[in-house]
Amino acid sequence: MENLKLVIVGHVDHGKSTLIGRLFYDTDSLPEGRIEEIREICEALGKELEFAYVMDHLEEERDQGITIDTAQTFFRTKKRQYTIIDAPGHVEFLKNMITGASQAEAAILIVDVNEGVQEQTRRHAYILSLLGLDQVIVVMNKMDLINYKEEMYDEVKKELLKFLESININPTYVIPISAKGGDFIAKKTRNLSWYDGPTVLEALDTFKTKNSPRDKPLRFPVQDVYKYDKRISVGRIESGIIRVGDKIKILPSGEETIVKSIAEYMKENVMQAEAGKSTGIVTQDKVFVDRGDVITHLEDLPVITDTINAHIFWMDKQPFKKPERLLFKCATQEVMCSIEKIERVIDSSTLRLLRRDADEIRNREVADTVIKTEKPVVVEDFNKIQELGRFVLQRKDTCAGGIITNIQKE
Amino acid sequence: MIIIMAVDALEYEKVEEFNCRNLKQKCYGKTDISEFSQPRTMVLWSSFMTGKNKEEEVLRKGDKEMWNITWGLEETLFSEFKSPVVLDLPGFNYDKKVHDKSRELLKKFFDAKDDEEKRKIRREYNNDAFEHHKKVKQDFLRAIKEKHDLVLGYFSIADVIGHLNFGNTTMMRMIYKELDEIAAEINSKGKLIILSDHGMKPIGVFGDHSSYGFWSTNFETKLRNPRITDFYDFIIELKRKQE
Amino acid sequence: MNHLDRLESKSIFIIREAYKKFRKIGMLWSIGKDSTTMLWLAKKAFYGRVPFPVIYIDTGLHFKEMYEFRDECVKKWGLKLIVSKNYEEAERRGIGPEAKLECCTVRKTEALKKTIAEYKFEALLLGIRRDEHGIRAKERVFSPRNRDFMWDYKDQPPELWDQFKTRKEGEQHLRVHPLLHWTELDIWEYIKREKLPVNPLYFAKKGKRYRSLGCMPCTSPVESEADTVDKIINEVKESKVAERSGRAQDKEEANAMQKLRALGYM
Repeated sequence: MENLKLVIVGHVDHGKSTLIGRLFYDTDSLPEGRIEEIREICEALGKELEFAYVMDHLEEERDQGITIDTAQTFFRTKKRQYTIIDAPGHVEFLKNMITGASQAEAAILIVDVNEGVQEQTRRHAYILSLLGLDQVIVVMNKMDLINYKEEMYDEVKKELLKFLESININPTYVIPISAKGGDFIAKKTRNLSWYDGPTVLEALDTFKTKNSPRDKPLRFPVQDVYKYDKRISVGRIESGIIRVGDKIKILPSGEETIVKSIAEYMKENVMQAEAGKSTGIVTQDKVFVDRGDVITHLEDLPVITDTINAHIFWMDKQPFKKPERLLFKCATQEVMCSIEKIERVIDSSTLRLLRRDADEIRNREVADTVIKTEKPVVVEDFNKIQELGRFVLQRKDTCAGGIITNIQKE
Repeated sequence: MIIIMAVDALEYEKVEEFNCRNLKQKCYGKTDISEFSQPRTMVLWSSFMTGKNKEEEVLRKGDKEMWNITWGLEETLFSEFKSPVVLDLPGFNYDKKVHDKSRELLKKFFDAKDDEEKRKIRREYNNDAFEHHKKVKQDFLRAIKEKHDLVLGYFSIADVIGHLNFGNTTMMRMIYKELDEIAAEINSKGKLIILSDHGMKPIGVFGDHSSYGFWSTNFETKLRNPRITDFYDFIIELKRKQE
Repeated sequence: MNHLDRLESKSIFIIREAYKKFRKIGMLWSIGKDSTTMLWLAKKAFYGRVPFPVIYIDTGLHFKEMYEFRDECVKKWGLKLIVSKNYEEAERRGIGPEAKLECCTVRKTEALKKTIAEYKFEALLLGIRRDEHGIRAKERVFSPRNRDFMWDYKDQPPELWDQFKTRKEGEQHLRVHPLLHWTELDIWEYIKREKLPVNPLYFAKKGKRYRSLGCMPCTSPVESEADTVDKIINEVKESKVAERSGRAQDKEEANAMQKLRALGYM
């Protein structure tokens, strides 16, 4: 079944858990007995059913080796299955939020209509923007608390859109909802009769699962070379299509050859492989190929450079201080680098400019930098081919992620 | 009026985790029960109301008999009050039938071999706990509206539910919220002390007693890490100050 | 590329990455459907030659069908098998399934620790899936464990864009999870597509089948009429009961009972 990975972000208490609980409930995706148990306790205690309770298992505090029956993180519509990626709202969990959001194909940004844009609204929206997520639904929650009035919704919506525009997010939908009451999650209710857009589920179903970019130029980063009876250069095609007989170039060396065959286990006569596919090729000539090389066609080439302009977001408690050297990892390339210039440092929650021409980047800060790699690397502008336009920086562990904005050709 | 909300197995960490503001009140902390070999309910409440470490005396009765202990009024701090109301406190006047049955079901649950049977027992066990809770809560809130110089309500729900469900965060969050709401309802009605015998820690989905208790007050105190027996003098002194 | 192609390619990428980074690597193979699928993916990744040993932890309590299935696959797929075992110790000390937690520790964990030490493994490939278990939702693809197998899930390094933690520190070993992004349903659909061998225990007999395999005393069958892969696929699609429900609880139950007894509850 088709699966779309969804991240739900927003400020704490703006109703994330309730929304998730409601999505699961309205799509009948809860583990058997779960909702009954909660309903029973609510009744036993004389309380209203609260959907936030349903989703405890997606939250941080659930964990202590618990084995209750809560493995469900999927919900289904008629069209497809959705996986909700764990994205804790708390400040300390920014790196988890980024880990989650980096896998997502679509996002829901939830905003309490009574409170408008708050610290984590800004931070999370900014991260979505950095990660290049372009399938975004904004839901304005807690409409019930303002008696479903259009005026206040319009006002907050205006402020929000202005903010989102400033960080280059253009939400596909803005939907007024009450997660608690179930308005416009799965059902159109009369409470919001003035709103003529889709429900959250309808909106989600219009999104596309992320197709690997097969229509873009070929980028085939070599992961390894196996010397069996033939030499097979293996890896995953990040963009484009490779075909038997294609003239190819091996970067950064620039050597040229021809694809003799495409090797796949137990399959004969494989003629092509497309973006997203883990495959292997055998070349016509004996050329030197190694991990980290990028195979392309002869035209529409990526950039080979040792100087990269990039936004990086720092996710480690230990700050970066010049002149520390870090490992730069982009696709299968790994090379030491230094951050030569830190042009601007921005607080990821207030989005305020903290320092110019700095020497240091601290946890949860985002910086515009110039990175110098020790050897030339093969990269792209993030907007052109994401897979070669993003990288991580590592010490022992990953401490930063980066987006390549502007490339200086050598 | 002095109000004591005696909550069995109220866990300090959970109060923090769920951020139960009303349970935390003005001052709060852990109690020190390290003088006891095990955090046993009957031992701790006995020691609380008499102001003396009653472990040896209670244990001498054996695991079965200890649940039948009742201390005379004159041995307890309640004798210091003119019109005290004490609701369901173990070792004093608790509803033996209800609590015996819940321990019986607990045993039955662990003895049961079949999952279906376990489910049935767990459900009955939980339902009994909720029913009993509702009754104590009602009596407690009523008593607070009357004229007494002391009202003590003993709430067993966090302990009883916790033993079979402590790893079920949803359930525990709901229980703590319920207790928090009770605290919110009564905190303006007098000097309120919230006290537990011990806390609770998870064993998977189940709960075991943790080795400290919880206390809180709605007034400034010098208490930091009190022993459970310290509350005897503390409460009597509080009463004198009020007079 | 369809959904299964994408899952397959991602898993192959992960397996190749792990092999590139760690020469001392092994694959844990429980004989179950998940790790057998993983093994097949490894065959695909390396063109039929799995270049590392597969480790089977023999608890001495497995179903005979599991041993048979194991030997069949080893022969057919040309695997280098390491049998990791410590059940002699368990038997010597009289630790059986009634000891639950301890039984697992001695027969499984201790056995694996011994094997890791003996072969100096730096990384292990494991066939766990995110949808199996609440806490597994937090797993990373490359996940460090210390010498005592502890996992600090609250403070894990970020993992993004398939850039993994490929450097081990000190006495850590890395656990690598190539199937993390698969679901139970994906596995069965893939088994169908690739015509993979399936252990007969998974098929219903007399109204019951096993949904996951483990030691005989601690694994119980579920009610089912599904005696073909197609029927299993339908069953999994309809089911809302978690795959492992009721499995791990037994150990905790025993532990809890002990504690409650000590507190005078029983």
